[in-house]
Amino acid sequence: MRTLFRCVGLIFLCSMANDATSQMRRVVIYDDTATELRTPSPFTQSEDLWVTLAELTRATGFVVKPQGVCRSELCFPLPKQRKADFLQQRGKVTWFNLSEFARFVKQPVAHDEKLAIWCFGLRPEGPNGYLATLEAPNFTLPDRSGKLHSLSDFRGKKVLLITWASW
Amino acid sequence: MPGWQIFYHELKDKNFEIVSVAQDTGGAKDANPWIEKANPEYTALIDEQHLVTKLYSMVNVPTAVWINEQGKIVRPNEVAFVDDRFKSYSHMDSGPYLEGIRDWVAKGERSSFVMSEEELRKRLTPVSPDRLMADVEFSLAEYLYHAGHGPEAIPHFKEAQRLAPDNWNYKRQAWLLSDADRDYGTNFTKEVQKLNGKPYYAPRQMPEPGNKPN
Repeated sequence: MRTLFRCVGLIFLCSMANDATSQMRRVVIYDDTATELRTPSPFTQSEDLWVTLAELTRATGFVVKPQGVCRSELCFPLPKQRKADFLQQRGKVTWFNLSEFARFVKQPVAHDEKLAIWCFGLRPEGPNGYLATLEAPNFTLPDRSGKLHSLSDFRGKKVLLITWASW
Repeated sequence: MPGWQIFYHELKDKNFEIVSVAQDTGGAKDANPWIEKANPEYTALIDEQHLVTKLYSMVNVPTAVWINEQGKIVRPNEVAFVDDRFKSYSHMDSGPYLEGIRDWVAKGERSSFVMSEEELRKRLTPVSPDRLMADVEFSLAEYLYHAGHGPEAIPHFKEAQRLAPDNWNYKRQAWLLSDADRDYGTNFTKEVQKLNGKPYYAPRQMPEPGNKPN
């Protein structure tokens, strides 16, 4: 009986520890930058990613303002009647639903549940922007010595852009 | 790459640049030996995150885009071999393609190889929501792979492949990072056989060299 109790106790402790770990460490990848979030979310029943306003800004650069969710010149006004879908108060902390915001701005999200990692992709207007101008999308990448080069460095010349792979 | 170096050497004094970009999750570790061997004078970049594949909706390598002095696309994605070593896959001669580049370098916008805006708009189509989702699944998979979670990356690589079934870059790169037969139930040779005579590379449509009709 004693052994059984000890086992049950151990399992209970383990599941607590697991919960604590998954609660503690969540990772958001936004604009190809990974940010670790450490504030445990109180929305344990929700599959969505809720973050504090400070974490929102740290992970994505977006700030919640009276006029909307903004980053430099860009601002997404939130629909008034749906404000509670995006923002919730718990004690002194205001939480923001980053998953709902992604759905709102049509941003794709990949999620690994087990490792608690959310990866946010591009809003469609980004990758489709060049269709209006036919301008070659710019990029900045390193050469083998690590020096960065941008496609736009070659403005004024004809460029043959070729991709290849070692595989 | 050595072939492109010879070609570049021929045209480099004519206001012409080659920018080559390696689509390799393994980054410099995988790409550098090839770059060092060819030692090109042109710009050779390394793209660990397949950014160029995504930005230009590429589905295979080698793929090239022609970009004019104003930074505008004048020919979108096409298969671009500098020699005929892989003709059994491409079913295309490299000669006419290289002639096309020479024609463009010499004549600029007057070259018949420069596409009209109308034709470009026909070929360049908006990225579908599925493709955008495939891109983000692939990004997450690459992140997991680099973070030491190779096995956890596999379902996300598979999801990217499911959402963008015509993207060979997303297939071949993922297969290379683990045992393709064990983890994906397939491999490159098997998948090419499945094409059953259909082209592995989308056929290229090149006009005859010459000036554009006015």
